[in-house]
Formats: sequence, C-alpha cells, structure tokens
Amino acid sequence: MKFSFTDDQRLFAEGLRELLANECPASVVREVWENGTGHSPELWSHLSGMGVLSMLAPESAGGMGGSFVDAILLFQELGRAAVPGPVLEHMAVAVPALASTRFGAPLIAGDSVATLWVDDSPYVAHAGVADVIVRKDHVLESFDATDAHGMDGGRRLFTVTGGDRTNADANVGGLDPFDAMALASAAYLIGLSERMIEIAAEYARVREQFGKPIGSFQAVKHLMSDALLKVEFAKAPTYRAAFSASTGADTSVRDISMAKALASEAAYRTSRSTMQVHGGIGYTWEADLQLWMKKAWALMRSYGDANFHRRRVSGFVLA
Amino acid sequence: MDLRETADEIAFRLEARTWLEANVPSEPLPSFDTAEGFALHRQWEKKLYDGRWSAVSWPEQYGGRGADYIKWLIFEEEYYRAGAPGRVNQNGIFLLGPTIMEVGTDAQKEKFLPTMASSEIVWGQAWSEPNAGSDLAGIKSKALRDGDDWILNGQKIWASRAVWADWCFGIFRTDPEAERHRGLTFILCPLNLPGITVRPIAQLDGDTGFAEIFFDDVRVPVENTLGEVDKGWGVAMATAGFERGVSLRSPARFSEAVNRLVALWQRLGDKSDTALADAVTDVWMQAEGYRLHTYQTVTGMLEGRPIGAEASLNKIFWSEMDVRIHEIALQIIGPEAERMEGPLERWVDGFLFSLSGPIYAGTNEIQRNIIADRVLQLPKGM
Repeated sequence: MKFSFTDDQRLFAEGLRELLANECPASVVREVWENGTGHSPELWSHLSGMGVLSMLAPESAGGMGGSFVDAILLFQELGRAAVPGPVLEHMAVAVPALASTRFGAPLIAGDSVATLWVDDSPYVAHAGVADVIVRKDHVLESFDATDAHGMDGGRRLFTVTGGDRTNADANVGGLDPFDAMALASAAYLIGLSERMIEIAAEYARVREQFGKPIGSFQAVKHLMSDALLKVEFAKAPTYRAAFSASTGADTSVRDISMAKALASEAAYRTSRSTMQVHGGIGYTWEADLQLWMKKAWALMRSYGDANFHRRRVSGFVLA
Repeated sequence: MDLRETADEIAFRLEARTWLEANVPSEPLPSFDTAEGFALHRQWEKKLYDGRWSAVSWPEQYGGRGADYIKWLIFEEEYYRAGAPGRVNQNGIFLLGPTIMEVGTDAQKEKFLPTMASSEIVWGQAWSEPNAGSDLAGIKSKALRDGDDWILNGQKIWASRAVWADWCFGIFRTDPEAERHRGLTFILCPLNLPGITVRPIAQLDGDTGFAEIFFDDVRVPVENTLGEVDKGWGVAMATAGFERGVSLRSPARFSEAVNRLVALWQRLGDKSDTALADAVTDVWMQAEGYRLHTYQTVTGMLEGRPIGAEASLNKIFWSEMDVRIHEIALQIIGPEAERMEGPLERWVDGFLFSLSGPIYAGTNEIQRNIIADRVLQLPKGM
C-alpha cells in the first residue's frame, strides 16, 4: 500500500503549474471570456507542446503513454488556473478513445480540437471551437453549433445540429466517457477550489476593516478553514478513483462517483465562502474570483452533479 | 501509487485477524470508566501485550513489533472489525509513548515504555485547568524546584482516565516570571503520591471518564521531567500533533461505525425515505474519505513528509463525522433513541460520547484558528 505520487508525477504537475502561471494568468482567462471564443489557441499549443494534451495516448501513437494516475494532478493544475476551452474533454476522452482511429494523430498533436457530447444533455460545451464532437458511439464533424449562452465564458455552451457521422467507440479503457469526464472534472474542481481559497486568503490578508486585516477575524478564519477542510478531504478519494480507473478496478464507477460528489460539494462550498470573504467586490464582474466560481458552478453540474453521484454510490453501498 | 496491499501486509493482516478472533472476549466488557470495567480492560491490555499486539508500531525492545504506520492502520482495521475492547491506556500508548520516544532520555524509555505497553501502568492526561482550556497557555499549576525534586501545586481538570489511572502526564509552570507558552515544563507524576486528590467528574453519560486532580505540595523527582525544563510547550505540542493527527482516532473506528450504520439502515431504515438513504451514504463516503486521507498522510510520513498543522483538519473532520454518524443512527432507531439501556443502547452511548469529540483535544474552533493561521497564513487575531 503506497498512497503517493512519484517524483516524476509531482514534477510534471509542478512544471504545468509554472507554465500556467506564465501563460494562463487571470488576464488570459478573462480575455477569452471577453473575445467570445472561450478558448485560447496559443495556450492550447503550449499545453500540446508540454505533452499535457496527449498524456493519455499510448506512446506507440505518439502520446505520453500515461494513466489516469499520471493525469490526475494535471487535471487539478488545469483547474487551479481555470484553463478555458475543451481541455478536459480532449485530454480525458477524445485522445485516449480515438488514438488509434483516423482522428487520433491530429488530436494527439493538438492540431485538431475535440469536445464531448454526453447522452441526455441538450448542450455541448465548447462546440464552437471544436473540430470534432465525440459521442458515446460516434464522432461528429462539420456540424452546426448555436450559442446557448452558458454562464462560464471559458466553457461556452452550444446546441448542435447536423454533422457528418463516423462510428467510433468513445470508451476509455473500459470507462464510459461520462465517467472519464466525471473523474477529470472532480480533479479540476479541486484545483479550482484550491485557487479560490488562495485568492480569498490573499484578499483577507490585505483588506482592512475596523483597522485590522479581515483575515484576523475568527468569522472569516472559520469560513475559510471549513472550505479548505472540504477540499482537502475530496483529494484522496479523487486520487483513489484515478488509481481504480488506471487499474480497471471493479469499484471504478463507485470510486469516481464518490470523488465527483465530494469535489462538487467542496467546490460549491468554497465558491460561497470565498465570495463571502470578498464582500461587495465578490459580487462584481471585475473581481477575478468569478472566473473560477462560474467554472465551478458549470462543472459541478456537468457529468453528474453531487446528488446523482451520491445516489450512484448508494447503489453500491446500501444494496 | 499502489493502493493494493503487499503480500507482507496481507500476511500481517491475517496474523492479526487470527489472533484477535481467538482472543477477543466474546461478550463486550463493561465501560472502562467504571471500577470493574477498568480492571477488566487492564487485563485485556496485558493479553494484547503478551501477544505483542498492544503497541504494534513501537520498536520490539519496548514490546512492539516495529510495524510501520500502514501496518498500524491495518491492525486497527482488524481490531475494530473484531469488535475488540476500547483501549484503556490510549493516552499512554498513542500519545505519551510516541512523545517519550521522541524527546525522552534512554532511562525514561526503559522505565516507562514497557510498563506502558503492558498497561501495568495506565496513564491519564493532566493538561487543562479551570482557567486554561482552549487557552491552554494560561496554565497556572506550578512546579518549584527543591533539590532533586519538583514540588507541584495547583489544579488540573478534564484529566482523562485519571480516576483509575496510575500515573499522569502534566504541564506545569516552572518559571513564574515567564508568560504564556514560555516557562512550562512537561512532568510525569504518579497519582498515588501524598498531596494528590483526585475528584471524579461524571460525564454526560454518567461514567467518570475524567477527573479533577488537586496537587498540594506533591514531590516528584526531577528525572520525571520529559524534555527540557521550561520547554514543555513544545513537548506538549508534539503530543497534540499525534493526538490530532493520526493516532487518536484511527479511521478503522469510523469505517466500522458506518458499516454498522449501513446494517442498521438495512434492518430498520425507512427505505422510502430517500433523504435518509442519502444521509447514510454521505457519512459512508466521509468515513471512506477519512480512511483514504489517512493512508495518504501516513504514506507521506513514511516518505519523509511529516504532518504539520494539517493535523487540525483531521481532528475537525473525524469529530464532526462521528457526531453525524450517531445523529443518523438515532434518527433510524426512533423511540429507542431515548433509552439508556436497551438493545440499541450502544448507539445512544455512542451519540453522547461523540459529542465530546468537537470539544476535547482542542475545540474545533481552536483547530479552525490553527488552520487559518498556519495553513492559510491569515493574520493572527483575537
């Protein structure tokens, strides 16, 4: 029993954090919101160059040959920086599922951009910037995408009609694409939450009222500590789910659901607490916090919300 | 990362399971906070010691097995799975013992550790005072040097196990000029000395699990000092780190409790009540999350990343989870939840006991302050 990441896994995640600190500051996230694309091709090519996008493709296909355990800290780092665009859908589903198809090479190279359309959803996130849409059993190209006005400017929503269809199986190593995305977004939500806590802590250290930094008040300390508690205790279940998925464990679906339920609730609690710590400025368009909050509110409901996943865990635990 | 047990770990688990199945008393023992129960629990600890299971993570020379923390967690899982008795000497074995190993002299290790492992000496904790609770640095009980002795005076309160324990470990002010965290010393003291009066305090459940201890010119030799004189705060914080961290409440306790809760729900729960099913699942996930978090923490410790102020997160998490587990159980058992004796009394007892968790070992509010100050780096307040 060894519940830790290797030095290589940690170093790769640190490298990604550094890259994103330079290439994806809040100003870049805000820019893709404001230019209406929800995607940054420049950032995309940086992620491709580092091997992030191809982490889950086999080496034989030109990928990094990684597992979900190798990728999970990367999803988390992408969340810390609130990276816009279909990076999770591309990385966690399209690349590993389609690596050996004719779509594989350009996806692995990052030249083609993919997103995912899960069953039962009326909307497709990122369809406006995607070259291909992956569905459970086929791939769509040359479709029509109509803006559905999503809340998160880094994850624009569309309705999709038409398109040329090619049959393809979107399972990822035995995982349904929905579950692969639930796992990736659990880690991404943890990253978002970590950064929201940092942003609020930075604010609480400098914002003064009653002649003192508001972070010195217990009411503020306790709000922040409780948020951190939820986030920290969502991590180990998420890493375990990655291990289960990597090893094809029988408990993969249960473990992924547990991770997504806990991460979704942690992210929501964190968004509420960190916004509260900001006071009035937290309710403005100008504060960067909203870039993280709205991503959290979008992702916590995507690929199964906390209630859905908790009930799925119930099915395993209470049966 | 490999979350599967090694062959060695599986063999250890089976060895523990086999021993426990052969030795755990078939009937639960009376509470160790009663005279009869205390004696029976001491006997049980001796049996554990003779099988070398009382302190598995300790070095072999002191009665342990030199097991790493992963194996300690495995042992705990088997221990709770077997329904074995509560650990009457946990303040000694899990709190004071590791502290002695860290800061004690060789003579102290030889003197105190084997008798602790065998529970020939059961330890009580004597830290809090009437005016030093959350504000522990407000300790006023004094130790004044007289030749080769300390002379102790003052009053301790909420001293766990002190009613029937043999010795206690306390913190005393040795430098009357020093303030707050400075000038405190960690002293080990027998409880049968002249000048000591122990007054039992009945807990919420009616048992006397803690006590007041009055020290009236009590003489103890200076070699009973643990760590350096006037540096007792640091020693105490090392102990508190173990307490809040992994040792006091191993995850197995809660895994076992939620498994019983699931069984209770299956037997008595209203299956049409989806909110109840959600609540049961929620605490199941919490217990599982706590287990996973602990394995992660412990792997980090084995790899040289010691636990710091994050230990305070654990303490809040397990104590609130414990209350929640029992709240849900009482909701399921309905009218039986009002009875102190009956077929489901264990849940009622457990509920009352769980309510102490958010208070002792540093209230959860104090833990939140610690997290905010040391982990989140917020400015000191109060």
